[in-house]
Amino acid sequence: MAVIVQNTEIAGGIYRMWLAHAPQGNAGQFIMLRIPGALDPFLGRPISLFDSAGDELTLLYQVKGRGTAAFAGLPAGAPAEVQGPYGNGFPLVPGDAVVIGGGIGAAPLHLLVKQLRAAEPNRRVEVHLGFRGEAYAIEAFRAYADSVRVDIGGVVTDGVDFAQTAAYYACGPSPMLRAAAKAAGETGARLYVSLEKHMACGVGACLGCTCQTANGRKRVCRDGPVFDFREVADER
Amino acid sequence: MNDKPLETELLGVTLKNPVIAASGTFGFGREYAELFDVSRLGGICGKGLTLDGSAGNRGVRVTETPAGMLNSIGLENPGVARFVAEEAPFMRSLGCAVIANLGGHSVSDYIEGARLLNDADIDILELNISCPNVRAGSMAFGLSPGSAADVTRRVKEVARHPLMVKLTPNAPDPVEVALACEQAGADALSLVNTFLGMAIDVDKKRPVFDNVYAGLSGPAVMPLALRIVHQAAKRVKIPVVGMGGISCARDALCFLMAGARAVQVGSMNFANPRAMLDIIDGLARYCEENHLENIREIRGIV
Repeated sequence: MAVIVQNTEIAGGIYRMWLAHAPQGNAGQFIMLRIPGALDPFLGRPISLFDSAGDELTLLYQVKGRGTAAFAGLPAGAPAEVQGPYGNGFPLVPGDAVVIGGGIGAAPLHLLVKQLRAAEPNRRVEVHLGFRGEAYAIEAFRAYADSVRVDIGGVVTDGVDFAQTAAYYACGPSPMLRAAAKAAGETGARLYVSLEKHMACGVGACLGCTCQTANGRKRVCRDGPVFDFREVADER
Repeated sequence: MNDKPLETELLGVTLKNPVIAASGTFGFGREYAELFDVSRLGGICGKGLTLDGSAGNRGVRVTETPAGMLNSIGLENPGVARFVAEEAPFMRSLGCAVIANLGGHSVSDYIEGARLLNDADIDILELNISCPNVRAGSMAFGLSPGSAADVTRRVKEVARHPLMVKLTPNAPDPVEVALACEQAGADALSLVNTFLGMAIDVDKKRPVFDNVYAGLSGPAVMPLALRIVHQAAKRVKIPVVGMGGISCARDALCFLMAGARAVQVGSMNFANPRAMLDIIDGLARYCEENHLENIREIRGIV
């Protein structure tokens, strides 16, 4: 059973949870996090991995409903049920990378930037993060990225050059993903997006999160959550 | 002491234990087989099938409720033919009882689906006349004794496998429907499917689900389900498989004491994939502590 080492609010409604005795995972994967034995809240919540090192996981989550509100109240030392990690994760495409995050969508991109850097120390990694109000976790990105541009209250994709020879990665709210997809469609850029859906099981059994793709129906939890943006054009 | 205290006979099939994965919560076993030893289960009910398959419902499909969840999946499934060719053989390889769940939009759909399933290597056919999430058919057949009996009789005429009819708690009188299905030739009954519920997105001022209403399940419905299973089990002579919000061994014991021969576990699989193993272990411990030769000794004692 994983144990919470630290669980603190780092910005308004945004929490960082540090877990020990947790499984290891890759960027873009998620865990189902649950309060052990609880029947209410009933289901686990899919939370992406902000960082993973050995048997320690760091999560960044936003309090949105009853589940995440319950997480926010967990003290250091409390046990946490961690299932997974599940999902396909981001492909680590060789060469330069452009990483675009909106709000709490930044969470999985931090581990992505770290893993991109580890896989190819000399590549250029450019990060663009958009926030509606307060920015957070910026310093953590600066540790691995060549540049981190922060946009507050604007349209983060407006400041991204989609004509570079690089792989593009995006995670954030639907309007941001649509804008990134439109721009990438115009330049022919290679873009991977991480989708978010309500999930019950996280493993592909309940079919609560399936989406229509160019290759038939797929489960966001198991076949995703990362897709080539062209494959999920109907979903965003 | 009996070395198989949980062994349970159901329609000529010997279950290792009376714990079965409920339809729609376990796929065809592929995903959970990667996570734990599913051969320890009594059986698996496969995802609900429709004759030609379906992409399911659009929009939000699941949302959590207090101690439960609403779903509006809408029977997304590969169709009966692909089930027979690809999924049934896989389920057979898992080492527990194989139950196919068949839904339908019309009586002729059910009959044709049941005919095709005659070629499948399954142990039991579960007739789903209780899914609340498809616009035409399914639960509509299970709401009245007359229509439930009609589809049961017609399917029984063509089906080669033992027939278990899965009932809805949303009928005005589920016990009357149970009696009608028994008279129409059902070999067993499974109950209850989900309760029709609703969720509203207050910020958007509209229903959460495109289909407006959705099926409620999880621990919140357990006492409601238990009442219906208790009433039905007292009235029918055929085996009853009980379900509805079971989350632990004590819940399973409640259904068995209420008269169920076996139980199905549904939503709890989502919350904790290993829940059924905990329930099986808990039942075994109960038999040992209470010196039961077999779990059947408590069946219907309440």
